Parts: sequence; structure tokens; C-alpha cells
Amino acid sequence: MAGSATTVMRSMVGRSLRLVAGRPWFGICLLLLLALVVLGPMLNVFLWAFTRNWAYPSLLPTVWSIEFWDDTFARADILEGFIASVWISLIVTGLSAVICLPAAYAFARMQFPGRTFLLLSFLATNAFPRFGLYITIAVIFFRLRLIGTVPGVVLIQLVNTLLFMIWIPTAAFQGVDRALEEAALDVGASPLRVFLQVTLPLVAPALAAALLLTFIGTFYETQGALLVGVPEVRTLPVVMIRLINNQVIVQYGAILSVALWVPSLLLLIFAQRVLRGNTIASGFGV
Amino acid sequence: MTVTGSRGSLPEPATYSGRFRVPQSVLGYALILLPLMVMGTLILYPAFLSIADTVTEPSSGGSLQVSLADYVEFFNTPLAVRNLAFSLRITAVTVAVLFLAGFPISLYLRFTHGRLGNLIQMLALFPLFVPGIIAAYALIRFIGDNGWLERFLHLLFGYEGFTSPYLRPAGIVVGLAWEGISITVLILTAGLSQIPDSLLETATDVGANRWQAFWRITMPLMKRSVLIVMTLNFLTVFGSFTIPYLLGPASPEMMGPYMRRTFYDANLPSRAQVQAVITFLISAVISLLYVRSVVSQKVEEES
Repeated sequence: MAGSATTVMRSMVGRSLRLVAGRPWFGICLLLLLALVVLGPMLNVFLWAFTRNWAYPSLLPTVWSIEFWDDTFARADILEGFIASVWISLIVTGLSAVICLPAAYAFARMQFPGRTFLLLSFLATNAFPRFGLYITIAVIFFRLRLIGTVPGVVLIQLVNTLLFMIWIPTAAFQGVDRALEEAALDVGASPLRVFLQVTLPLVAPALAAALLLTFIGTFYETQGALLVGVPEVRTLPVVMIRLINNQVIVQYGAILSVALWVPSLLLLIFAQRVLRGNTIASGFGV
Repeated sequence: MTVTGSRGSLPEPATYSGRFRVPQSVLGYALILLPLMVMGTLILYPAFLSIADTVTEPSSGGSLQVSLADYVEFFNTPLAVRNLAFSLRITAVTVAVLFLAGFPISLYLRFTHGRLGNLIQMLALFPLFVPGIIAAYALIRFIGDNGWLERFLHLLFGYEGFTSPYLRPAGIVVGLAWEGISITVLILTAGLSQIPDSLLETATDVGANRWQAFWRITMPLMKRSVLIVMTLNFLTVFGSFTIPYLLGPASPEMMGPYMRRTFYDANLPSRAQVQAVITFLISAVISLLYVRSVVSQKVEEES
């Protein structure tokens, strides 16, 4: 037992904690504070996208307008950035799937020495401080003349995708009820047919979620693309960095944010629905 | 159970006993070879090459010899030391802010049910759904000069002393905390949900009050999750680039932007390597502390 002073202090803190936690107004304050801090910035950007003038200290735009939308998408750098981002993200996602999905099947279904250790070793991608790792990769790319090339950007972005593309599908393959496959085999279906008609449909939602998460994650990946791509390859996030640094017109960045964020939000919500909430947390070893 | 059909090229699960036994371990290794190779060439090889490069230098005879001269030079460069100290300070503050903000939210989510809790959880997880570059842009508008935050403070409280954290050290903390809150809440809530209600009820049954139950049962059981979240946040924040680059001051700067400037603007890849390896070493020490405390906790539990 600790000293009496500590006990008194603890019971005092305890009493106030009880008082606070027992009342709904604590939850309401928490809700309002979180709403302001979390939603505030995004709402602010939404308003900026429909603004011509916004004088201080008005809380809402003083002159509303959509005139900047046409200008934004007429900009050559934004258009080229968009095309580059879509292509590179498709290539990275496809490459990642080809590399990782068979491995995920093996991790889920086969027994071999060191299986658990090797599966866990993909957490090593998280163990390095990310940008330091990118610098060491960039040094090699520099020697190989991969700086400023599409293959360079694809390879550095591939690093980010390994963990999710292996862990999510592995969990999905493990989750398939083996009795269903065995039943199909018993009635004479070939293993290939069982895989295509029983296993694959069951894991398809999780695989789709993994592909989506990888595509979205790659599309918005910024630091690797900036470090390795510039100056020849500029993905959309890199174009956005230039818009931020040059402070040209607030609306360009705001419109770009809104136009790009809404589709990604819908896709992410879909992915989240498919994966149980704990999948992401378990990826961090909880 | 026996499989009578012929074997396709498809890998067979372990429990099936086919007519011909393809050694499953060989097939398993073959299938995982590709991602392991990618990890080897794109993560381990660059990291170890940089370590090797920075601890050696060519001697007069042309062969390589071990030398720590690069590191001596780093620690004798006032700017480099200043940036490293700045990075560590910002990281410590951000990790603390994330814990202090995330833990009460997680506790609230664990012990309340209903609509309000669901709403709070949705808001806490919301940043997970905002790509980093868009979050950075939104935060600049929000916390910047004449931004929404300043307008709110002005109109609601008549507060005029607002100094924007944008392009100041606090801007980095705000940005990284905004991005990190979701994972923090997610991991802490997952940890808290592993503590069964029955255990806490038993404690109150034998006369413990809620605070005692919290302090004696919840906290010790949360040690592991708290350590995981702190380590993870440290690694993420310390290794970050985009937020410090866009929201932080030009000087002092965190290691991320500093390394890029050394590599790209100053065109000194070998010096950037030294900086990167130093961030590796510091992160390794943190990870090691974490692993050791988890292990010692396990040993404690077993004795």
C-alpha cells in the first residue's frame, strides 16, 4: 500500500473522474471538441472551393463562386499529375498483387518452418523510420540513375504496399471455412474448381479491400514520390505540394482537395465495411 | 479423408493427403520468395548498404577501412545537432500529446455505449480517411493566419492574441497529432476491449471503487498497448516528412526535411546517408526498449 497522501490524492482524482465520466456532458464536450478539431479543417477547405472572396473575420465566404473549378482542371500541371498518379498507382497495385497474393495464400494455408517469423518479418517495413529508409533507397536509385523515372517511383511506392497486401489477404484466406472446400472436393470438384468457385468468392471482398487500400494509399503517397520522382515525374500530391509552396491561389488546392477526397472517402468507407475494425489494429501487433 | 481427384497445379492445404506428396514447404517457400526478395532489395539492402557506407572510408591503399569520421563530422556540425535535437523534442511532445488526447477518448469509448459513443468513435477515426497531403492542406487553411480557427476565436471569445502555429514548431505537432489520433485511439481501444467486463465487476464486487479498479486492473493490463502505441507513434513521427516539410519552420527543421535538403538541394547523398543511419539507430534503441519491456513483463507474469 502506498503512503496515505497518495491514497488521498488518488481518491480525490478518482472522485472527480467518476463525476466527469458519469455525466453525458463530458461526452458532449468531447464530441464538440473533436468535431471542431477533426471536421473543422475539412469543412473549411470545402468552403474555400466555392469562394471568390473571403474577408477577415467573416466565418463564411463573403462572395461565393464556382468560377475556379474550370480553371483548376484546365491547369496542365494538375491534369498531367492526375494521369501520372492514376497510371503509377495502377502499376504499383497490380505489381503488389502479383507479388503478394500468392504469398498470402502460402502463409494462410501451408506449413513450412519459419512461417510465423517470416510473416511477422513484414512488420519490419514499419520498424524503420520511414523517411530515413527512403533516403537510403534514394541513394541507391541515384547510383542506378532511377531518380526522376517512373520505375523509380513505382519501386519506392511498392515498399509501402507489402504489409497490407500480405496481412489482409492472409487473414482472409485463413478465415475461409475449410469444411466448405472439403465438401466440394468430396463431391468430386477439382482443386482448381474449388479454389475458383468456393474459396475465391469467399475472400473476394477482402481482396478487393486490400487492392483498394493499396491503390488509394499509393495515389496519395507523397514523400517517396517527391524524393524520387522530381523533377521529371510529378504525381498529383507532388503538384499539390507545389501549389502549397507557391501559395498561388488558395482555391486551386481547395478544389483539388475536395475533388480528390470525396471519391477516396467513399472507397475507404467501402473497404472499412469489408474489413472488420480490428484488422487494422492487429496489423500493428495488438 | 482422401482426395481421389488428380492433383492440379494448385497448392493443396496441409490437411489433405493426396496420392503424390509435393513437399509443401518447398512450394510455400517458392510462393513467398518474391515478397521476401522485394523486402530484401528495397528495405534491408539499402539500409545495410548505408550503414556499411557510413562506417567505412577508402584508405590510401585503395581498400576500405572502418572509420567513424562521418559521424564525428555530423556531431561537429552545429546545424545537424540542432536539427536532431529539434526532431527528438518535437517527437517527444507529439507522442505525449497523442497519448494524453487518445487515452481519455479510448477510455470513454470502452466504458460507454450508445449513440454518443458511436459518434465520438467515428470522429476519432475520421483522420484515417483523409490522405496526408489533403490533411496538410486543410490544416494550413484552418490554423494559418486569418484561418478559420483565428476567426472562431475572434467571433466567439473576442480573442485577439492568436499567433498561428503554421510554419512554427507547434504546427508540426498539430499536424502529426491530427494524423496520428486515429491509430492511437484504435490501438488503445483494442487493448481496452481485451479487458473483460467480468474482471472489473469482480473487483467492484469485492469492494474496490471504480478508480481502484482502473488503477489496479485496467492500467497494468494496458501496459502493453500503451507501449505499442508510444513506440509506434515515436517511429511514425520521428520518421515523418510531409507534415514537418509543409507545416514546420524552415529552421530548425526535423530530420525528414533536413535529409531531403541534404540529398536533393545540397546534393550530398553520402551525408544524407549518415543522417538516415542516425535516425535508424535512434529508432532501433526505442524499439529495443519496447521489446525488452514486453519480454520482462512476460517473465514477470510467469513467475
